Amino acid sequence: MLRFSEEIMLLLLSDNGGKFVDVPAPSLDCALAGAVLMDLALENRIDTDPQRLFVVDPAPLGDDLLDPTLARIVDSEATHDTAHWIRATTDQADAIHDRSLERLVERGILRREDDRFMWVFKSRRYPVIDDQTIREVKLRLMGVLFSDEIPDARDILLISLSDVCGIFSSLLSSSELDAAAQRIGQVRKLDLLGREVTNAVREIEASLAMAVAMPMH
Amino acid sequence: MDVTTERQEGVLTAEVGGRIDGSNVAQFEEAIRTAIDENDRAVLIDCENLGYISSAGLRAVLMTAKSLSSRNAKFALCSMSDPIREVFQISGFDKIVAIHPSRAEALASFDS
Repeated sequence: MLRFSEEIMLLLLSDNGGKFVDVPAPSLDCALAGAVLMDLALENRIDTDPQRLFVVDPAPLGDDLLDPTLARIVDSEATHDTAHWIRATTDQADAIHDRSLERLVERGILRREDDRFMWVFKSRRYPVIDDQTIREVKLRLMGVLFSDEIPDARDILLISLSDVCGIFSSLLSSSELDAAAQRIGQVRKLDLLGREVTNAVREIEASLAMAVAMPMH
Repeated sequence: MDVTTERQEGVLTAEVGGRIDGSNVAQFEEAIRTAIDENDRAVLIDCENLGYISSAGLRAVLMTAKSLSSRNAKFALCSMSDPIREVFQISGFDKIVAIHPSRAEALASFDS
């Protein structure tokens, strides 16, 4: 089974030869941090409530995407809320990003290609070898968005992450997006972790907007 | 966390007391799953004595609702304290799962 961060990287692949759609870096960092926390929650290693995130089971999973973050939470002397751990885990976002792509290559879903542009600038692409996995992930999302059925826990969390990254605007036409907007909002609320990732991104965007609006001295 | 159940006319009522969180959510799921009979037409979780529910507990409740929905059985929650109701409302569960003020009102809703 793919981890959330691997699914997000697959959904971010454009149809254009193994390149990724552009996502604001703070949004992607929060989404990847949230993805790791979501997998830890579904593995019953951590749990949350509106005030705090706490350890349920400190035992490592033997998963190099998740265990470093679990160890940090286990070793923390103080208890913090979910927003704290999303922010704290964003400093691992590059490692989560790179390791997720490596794993997709190891699984035979993607292939890594290193090119040079104008013989100077390095360029890396990840063409799809096995598109069945990507199609299955997209079908799962569409199945939730365009039905009234109660979604399962994984799909709720994946929809929260996809929304944070703006993935739906590349997966859906504008009319489909309009039709799904209310459902996305409804599903996104259903899990605290998903809500906290969304809130963390909004806080960061607001602080960036405030920094831009501040007069220079 | 403790779960006590009773069945009347195809309606299973599970009274849940204490706390539901990651440390006991598996026991909660197992208790509900094994209590549900394939002939039950409705399941009610009475939350009068529920003191705390975490995200893991909310997911377990939602998955119970999903499982019952897939076989066209009704599902509802009732008798929540204000803090517990607030947790469910913030999560938007009240838009997906019926939440009633009392057990009597919940049971009556199954017959309507």
